[in-house]
Amino acid sequence: MNVEKLQDIVGQDWVITKREQMESYLVDETALAVRPKPADNVVVVKPANSKEISEILKLANREKTPVFIRGGGTGLCGGAMPTVDGIVLSMERLDKVEEVDKDNLMIVVEGGVTLETMLKAVEDAGLFFPPHPGDEGAYIGGLVACNAGGARAVKYGVIRNYVKGMEVVLPTGEIMNVGGKLIKNNQGLDLLHLLIHSEGILGVITKVIFRLYPRVASSGTMVISYDTRHDAMDSVPKILRSGVIPLAVEYVDRDVIEMSAEYLGMKWPATKGSAHVIVIVTGANEDEVYLQAERVSDICQKSNAIDILIAERRDEQANILKMRSEIYSAIKDKSADILDVTVPPASVGLIMDKCDEIAKRYNTTIPFYGHIGDGNFHPHLMNDLRDRGIVREVKREVYKEAIKLGGVITGEHGVGVVRVPELDLCPDGKMWELMRGIKSVFDPNNILNPGVGIL
Amino acid sequence: MKEYKGLMVFAEQREGRIHPISYELLGKGKEIADRLGVELSSVLLGHQMEEEAKELIYYGADKVFLYDHPAFKDFDLLNYKHNIARLVREVKPEIFLFGATRLGRSLGPRVAVALDTGLTADCTGLDLDEDGNLIQIRPAFTGNILAHIKTATRPQMSTIRYKVMQKKVRDANRRGEIIKKDAELVPSLLTIKKKEKLGGVNIAEADVIVSGGRGLKKAEDFGILAALAELLGGVVGSSRPLVDDGWIGKEHQVGFSGNTVKPKLYVACGISGSPQHLAGMRDSDVIIAINSDPSAPIFKLADYGIVGDLYEVVPRLTNEIKGRRAG
Amino acid sequence: MLKIVVPIKQVPDIGRVKFDTEKGRVDRTSAPAEINPFDLNALEAAVQIKDKLGGTITTISMGPPQAESALKDALSRGADEAVLLVDREFAGADTLATSYTLASAIRKLGGFDLIICGEKTVDGDTGQVGPEIAEHLGIPHVAYVSKVEEVGEKITVVCDMEGDRYLIESGFPMLITVSKDINTPRLPTFSDKLKARKAKVEIWTAADLSSIADQARFGSQGSATAVRKVVVPSEEARKGKIFRGIVDEEVGGIIDALEEGRILEGIK
Repeated sequence: MNVEKLQDIVGQDWVITKREQMESYLVDETALAVRPKPADNVVVVKPANSKEISEILKLANREKTPVFIRGGGTGLCGGAMPTVDGIVLSMERLDKVEEVDKDNLMIVVEGGVTLETMLKAVEDAGLFFPPHPGDEGAYIGGLVACNAGGARAVKYGVIRNYVKGMEVVLPTGEIMNVGGKLIKNNQGLDLLHLLIHSEGILGVITKVIFRLYPRVASSGTMVISYDTRHDAMDSVPKILRSGVIPLAVEYVDRDVIEMSAEYLGMKWPATKGSAHVIVIVTGANEDEVYLQAERVSDICQKSNAIDILIAERRDEQANILKMRSEIYSAIKDKSADILDVTVPPASVGLIMDKCDEIAKRYNTTIPFYGHIGDGNFHPHLMNDLRDRGIVREVKREVYKEAIKLGGVITGEHGVGVVRVPELDLCPDGKMWELMRGIKSVFDPNNILNPGVGIL
Repeated sequence: MKEYKGLMVFAEQREGRIHPISYELLGKGKEIADRLGVELSSVLLGHQMEEEAKELIYYGADKVFLYDHPAFKDFDLLNYKHNIARLVREVKPEIFLFGATRLGRSLGPRVAVALDTGLTADCTGLDLDEDGNLIQIRPAFTGNILAHIKTATRPQMSTIRYKVMQKKVRDANRRGEIIKKDAELVPSLLTIKKKEKLGGVNIAEADVIVSGGRGLKKAEDFGILAALAELLGGVVGSSRPLVDDGWIGKEHQVGFSGNTVKPKLYVACGISGSPQHLAGMRDSDVIIAINSDPSAPIFKLADYGIVGDLYEVVPRLTNEIKGRRAG
Repeated sequence: MLKIVVPIKQVPDIGRVKFDTEKGRVDRTSAPAEINPFDLNALEAAVQIKDKLGGTITTISMGPPQAESALKDALSRGADEAVLLVDREFAGADTLATSYTLASAIRKLGGFDLIICGEKTVDGDTGQVGPEIAEHLGIPHVAYVSKVEEVGEKITVVCDMEGDRYLIESGFPMLITVSKDINTPRLPTFSDKLKARKAKVEIWTAADLSSIADQARFGSQGSATAVRKVVVPSEEARKGKIFRGIVDEEVGGIIDALEEGRILEGIK
């Protein structure tokens, strides 16, 4: 690795070679039991702009040095970890919100802007960015590279639906712009959407144009309690076909979300039942919200709901979302792995039964929560499985059941490094061959995020 | 209105010791009194506190009205109010100041209503207009604006935020008059059943936080930060990884999933500045960052940064402040 | 059976509201209005007492007609009755006039045993109205209550004064102001919310209080203090002064800078 040349490009201060100064750049939020070991010889570089990134990639491409792109480090599958010797390319200095374009309802942000910063800029402009993929420390580049989902995807969809353009630095060093502030764009093959969720193997996302929406005037977050998971599941498809399109439909085991509440020093508001569904409804005014909430309430009562609460204040709604968003942080210590399976929305009840069966068979518990409105949820495999050395075995059982139901092994967290060994469960040879072909067109020397994302 | 003259401050005491806010009130009070060319007096309610009353003179009071009674040893809301209101009716100061401690903010409103006068809460500045009326300056809307408030009635009464005004240098040669007043007792109606000192950290309300991050090599080294924190009357904070590793309790954690803090001074030692951490401390008044990595994101947010090893820098910082204070 | 009164205030959502620097006032259209968050703690404290011992909770507010929605929210969270004081005569009140008006209305309610207020409001941030109501009514109060220990013939509460904690006993009637630590306000159930939306809020005007109150003490006329000017402090950028090199010089330099900025002075 050519440290001097890197220093020439970004300046001496912005190249870290001391191991003790780079600890936080070597890992992400992946559960310990499945987290890969970071490589020994790593240099962290912090470029200021896409031009410097271009120079770094040209250098790396010439010298065939692997480059790992580093965002907010909030990923859950090792996608940002340097698994072989090479360069960690931190995006932290590309942190500018360039423009909020109120006329076109677009925002232009650099790849190292955090979700928190962008949401604040959007809020200050009186506009709305619907998705909320959990940890607000995530970087925009990472959110797009991983096509993040999160809770608020039922009504408006995942991050992909908002990206209208981007600037990307290719592994060979060229700076390319795709898309723009455009609602329609049919010019050639859609490279923009190929780059979204490319998990950093096709290019470095340095700038993104997102579409924004007018602020929803009114919203309500309902917390609906049931005695059984089954009753909870039963209500969800009925809500979704009732004509009400909620912003979010989430499921949480009560004991799981109470752990999150305790971790945050907060209190989970629902005190009855063991299975809770969170439904967020939005409207142009309070009456619209109530109209929808009444319909949701009627449906849930027919599905044996035992208690229905509603939060309308912003602080109370934010608290509920925060407790939901921080579940992973709260139970990470106890978890060997967090799964991310997705099935057709109506099959959520079935996969849940399968998980229960598997848990029984292996004499363990599988806590459960997720975006059930999207068919996407997160069973946790706990540390007892790690101690017995069967995390992978149980994980593959869950994956097989999901695939049987027409599902996939990851819906929003991505393949990263940790799921690559399980991709054989989805054995469509031609598909993986095409993906490898695309990778080699973009990155002939396989320098960018090697080992990530594809089989 | 004309008959109201002079400035009076309430001297708060706890357990027979004068609360430092009282000296700050005297410091600011003296400045205003001098500008008006009037006398500065103070009222102290307590038991066997004559020696302490002298301190009020050393810090600027011309007169101290001293109420000595066992009933005044602890805070007795209704008796404090009753006697202060009586004194104000008698002495008629044009300005009366309380400290905006919890005691002051509980007592002040009662006295104000008893005297049928206005009260301005939690002022951070005082000034005079051309006619000698008091301009009371206070932050409003979470500190986004400063309101200038005037009082039409007399006395003009305010509670003043702690640790904002400067006390004067103590002058043991200063002379003044201690006037002993007789207490008039009314039924107190409130009984203190138990008193205890509150322990534990309340990081969200601390004025100074000295925080450690991954730059610390082992849990015991929080002691280095604690020494500086103690010197500055602050508490120790931590970034998330060290809490996750069990090095320090969750109550010390600063960040998105920990505590959101806005102290007057935040010293980040060996903290690189993850977004998760920055979200919890970015509103601190003054931020000092100490990190051996010049590229650490924390420096972008810092008012003052030291590029260096915290193990060298923090102890020297502690010693230097000690030295200068002694000198 | 205790009769509990909870005065509340409708405030703009403080996390979102913007200040109109040109007009020099708060832009109320920038954020929705809601119950002052501290008042939710007061209401929750009242509901917890009622849950245990029975009784009634009356919530009362002074404000514009729109403040009715805050009172309805209070009804959905466990209050039994709601009274809104609306009149142009009440407008422009400082804490002296506000507390006088609320105290007069509480008198008009008839008997009461316990008044519970939030520690302060997030917009006014004075914390004065509670203790001032108590003085107007001539009853004792305890401010900054973090726990209601016992309620029976008497009431015992925990009061935190910075580093000191007091356990205080009082007879009735009395008033407490509660801090955020006292509880986590519950969420209303959806059915209670629906009921409250249709519930009736009693409206009282200045004339309704005329038999027991001096109208000259209402509103701006009855106020002793007035805001004369509003200054928007310019946002100071971070200084961003970085010291590097020899440690002793760095340390000296940073303390010089702190002393110059008088930063260490306000710190004890």
